[in-house]
Amino acid sequence: MDDPINFFGQSYTQMHSIARGELEELQRQAMKRRFGQHRESIAIVRKLANRLGVAEVNEFNDIVPLLLPHTAYKSYPAALIDKKRFDLLTKWLDNLTSYDLSRVDTEGCSGIDDWIERLDEQTPLEVITSSGTTGTLSIIPKDKHGAREGMVLWKICLFQNFGTEPTERELNPSVEVIWPNYASGKLGHLRIANMIRRGFTGGDESKFHALYPGAIDTDLMFLASKMRAAASRGELDRLVIDPALATRKDEFIAMQARQPEDLDRFFTNITEKLRGKQVFMIGTYNLMHEVARAGLDRGIKEVFAKDSAILTGGGLKGFVLPDNYMDVISEFLGVDRIQEGYGFSEQSAFHWGCTEGRYHVQPWVIPFVLDPDTSEPLPRKGKQTGRAAVYDFLLKAHWGGAISGDEVTIDWDLQCPCGQTSVAFEHAIMRYSEKQGIDDDRITCAATHEVHNEAINFMKGVDL
Amino acid sequence: MSAAYTVPLFLRGQVIADDLVSFGTRSGQYQFQAPDMAKYVEQLPLKSPAELTDLYALSFDEILDVLEALGDALDFESNTHLQEAYEASLVANVLPAEMLRNSYQVLRPLFTRENVREVADSQVGLNYLNGWVPHKLLDGRELRVRAFGSRVLHIPAGNGGLVSAVTILRSVITRSDVIIKAPSNDPLTAIAIARTLADVAPDHPITRHLAVGYWKGGDLAVEEVLYQPQHVEKIVAWGGLASVKHVTRYIQPGLELIALDPKRSATIIGAEAFTDEAAMREVARRAAVDIGVANQEGCANARVIYALSGTDEAGLANANRLGEMIYEELVALPSFISTAPMYPNRDLFEHLESSRLTEDFYRVIGGEHLEGAIVVSQFDSPVDYSTMLSGRVANLVPVDSVETVTAAVNAYTQTIGIYPESLKQQLRDVLPLFGAQRLTSLGYACSVAIASPQDAVEPIRRMCKWIVDEECDPETVIPMWRLGGADTTSVAHL
Repeated sequence: MDDPINFFGQSYTQMHSIARGELEELQRQAMKRRFGQHRESIAIVRKLANRLGVAEVNEFNDIVPLLLPHTAYKSYPAALIDKKRFDLLTKWLDNLTSYDLSRVDTEGCSGIDDWIERLDEQTPLEVITSSGTTGTLSIIPKDKHGAREGMVLWKICLFQNFGTEPTERELNPSVEVIWPNYASGKLGHLRIANMIRRGFTGGDESKFHALYPGAIDTDLMFLASKMRAAASRGELDRLVIDPALATRKDEFIAMQARQPEDLDRFFTNITEKLRGKQVFMIGTYNLMHEVARAGLDRGIKEVFAKDSAILTGGGLKGFVLPDNYMDVISEFLGVDRIQEGYGFSEQSAFHWGCTEGRYHVQPWVIPFVLDPDTSEPLPRKGKQTGRAAVYDFLLKAHWGGAISGDEVTIDWDLQCPCGQTSVAFEHAIMRYSEKQGIDDDRITCAATHEVHNEAINFMKGVDL
Repeated sequence: MSAAYTVPLFLRGQVIADDLVSFGTRSGQYQFQAPDMAKYVEQLPLKSPAELTDLYALSFDEILDVLEALGDALDFESNTHLQEAYEASLVANVLPAEMLRNSYQVLRPLFTRENVREVADSQVGLNYLNGWVPHKLLDGRELRVRAFGSRVLHIPAGNGGLVSAVTILRSVITRSDVIIKAPSNDPLTAIAIARTLADVAPDHPITRHLAVGYWKGGDLAVEEVLYQPQHVEKIVAWGGLASVKHVTRYIQPGLELIALDPKRSATIIGAEAFTDEAAMREVARRAAVDIGVANQEGCANARVIYALSGTDEAGLANANRLGEMIYEELVALPSFISTAPMYPNRDLFEHLESSRLTEDFYRVIGGEHLEGAIVVSQFDSPVDYSTMLSGRVANLVPVDSVETVTAAVNAYTQTIGIYPESLKQQLRDVLPLFGAQRLTSLGYACSVAIASPQDAVEPIRRMCKWIVDEECDPETVIPMWRLGGADTTSVAHL
């Protein structure tokens, strides 16, 4: 339960060849033990279990009432950040993690970046944030142990092929990393840049190639999302901006202005130094397409070694891409395969796409398909479509039970033709938030949340 | 999938249900049919402005007669058009059956002579509607002003049949020619009223100047043809950006937009509420009504409630106690006023459950069965998801001073329910500066008067064209043709 990597001999093939019945028995035991630990060490789990009267979990469905919605990681008042009450924010986070944060020193903490740095220094945590539409950031208390483990798992999944045991080159690949984004930052997934640096290049900076050299400032991003939220509430006229932050707006604008130059430098770099090399590149479809398009426009194509590892996923996030976007990406990269992964921040590693296009669930994750309205679990048989939820017992720092915002399908009786024994999510995954509001012209006199999201889109001009 | 119902086209007295096309809806659970408006759009507008003359041959008494007869015929028990509209709204609307049925009871009193006269007189002026109102200016000229109706297109909201009925009432008293785009969430009420009008006043000018139909908002084949100054002079659009943005591209000289934006409302409760148990109970009962009416679907419903309880320990205890009382009163409301929401917002309830587990900042009362809930903030700010509050979920925010309550008001604010009256007087000159449009006694937020400005404008006056007839006697008003070359200053001033 604590070290599945070595349990499966670092082999992706072994991870996904274990008989279903055998795996499920192991999962049940692990779930039971991890719940026992986290019930003691994570306050929110204890509170929820006490309130619902759950003393122990024996069957998979017993854990469903204890799965947390994504809102659990943004339930702090956003005002705490405005008022720089990082002591209270730490106290709030303490409820969500198994580690003791009571001795964290937040005295004089100047902003979110500073706070995250202090947590990095003083605790085993390495928190991940992501922005939302309500003007609050999700803060997920991930730890350094999980980050290290995650990178090892990524390597296993990226470089190994199902059906053959890993070779030495696959176990210890030496790759150049292409990061089509800002080089660093503490906001959301930019943090992964540092994890990849550590996990894939052995700390060799010269092997890490970012599209833009700068760092994104979390506090500035928080201000931008706060401004959008204020605009949507009709309160932009009385938003008070931290003057220290307002002066940094120019830096951000300058950084944006440098983007074309940075882009040129990036392409010069990869064509001169990296052509034909084995690389690892990760990014959303949108980012990948943007970079590939820019590359092709410069006459650059088929740049990397065919056994390079390219990972994408995360849906289209509302971006509209041309129908042939995958072809554009492939032509530019020139690699044999582009791998896709499915996951969300509240769990550990991705579930990897197979040759059939299904995302096979990692053995330390118990998947659920829930009724989208009631959150009751749908039967674990036949083909079921509903809301994805997981219990991930690999996670130590925070609770592994999470309900996603995604509509997924699992065919529980399917033995996937790809040969993997594991349960899999079908390829078509859609966010419920993207599903709603389509093809509708209802009008009410009340200003709803949806109305405001429209307003946010309309007011992109308010962006910093 | 078979169509759940048909939305016919009411074309100036004639009911058309041919050339039907299907429309899907948000959930995909059902479909409905309506005539293909692209085929009928040419027939929708008035052929010529000259055809408006028949409305001006009507006396106001005759208008009152017709509307009174219409009101009498809008009796839910006997009117099959209304019953059909009710059946359709059962599938199209989010409110439960009993509440929808009850909503038709308000139509009849709306059209009584007294009510129509009050609306017309207070919101425009009977003298302006029915003739030329004289007024002498300082320079000596005789001004005569009359309010003419216009050719108006309405895009009403669908969260209650009252909106459609008020739309028709406003159009008739201003002697306007009116085209109504039926809302998809209340597809048949406007049609039902129109058909009833045709029953009681067949071939009457008022009937001949009314058209109601459905097309999908943004349908270029219809809107590019119809939304032209030669067909329509004013568009009254309810709803948010989604509905207004379809319209704004057609706005040009000669075609005016009257936007009745979507709004939210708030509540402010003074320290007097906490004087004793009885006062608290009374306030809780009133606040519960403001939250609960029609399941908090409307713009006037209370959502964030500021209470001047203070934020010290005693203040929080008071706020929490008031929150419990409001919850008790909320769930005790009779089902024709309020029920648990039929389609609770899942995202909202996820936020609610997370707040419940964040006791340092929030106290969540109720909500475990999606029946509605009160979230009491344990500090002086509302929840970050305040814009999502719906389905009988309100947020009680304790504050220390009256200065803080201006936070309750912003550019999206419509109604502020206030307790007690003295606090309202204290706040009424300040809150409008921040955006409040209507201040009312706590408990009356959803009891909306029709004979009153709406959303800080006077929609009926704006629906009118204000026409001036001037009479200038050369003996008193200095005529330009008599001005010599020497005295050009007066001309320059013109």
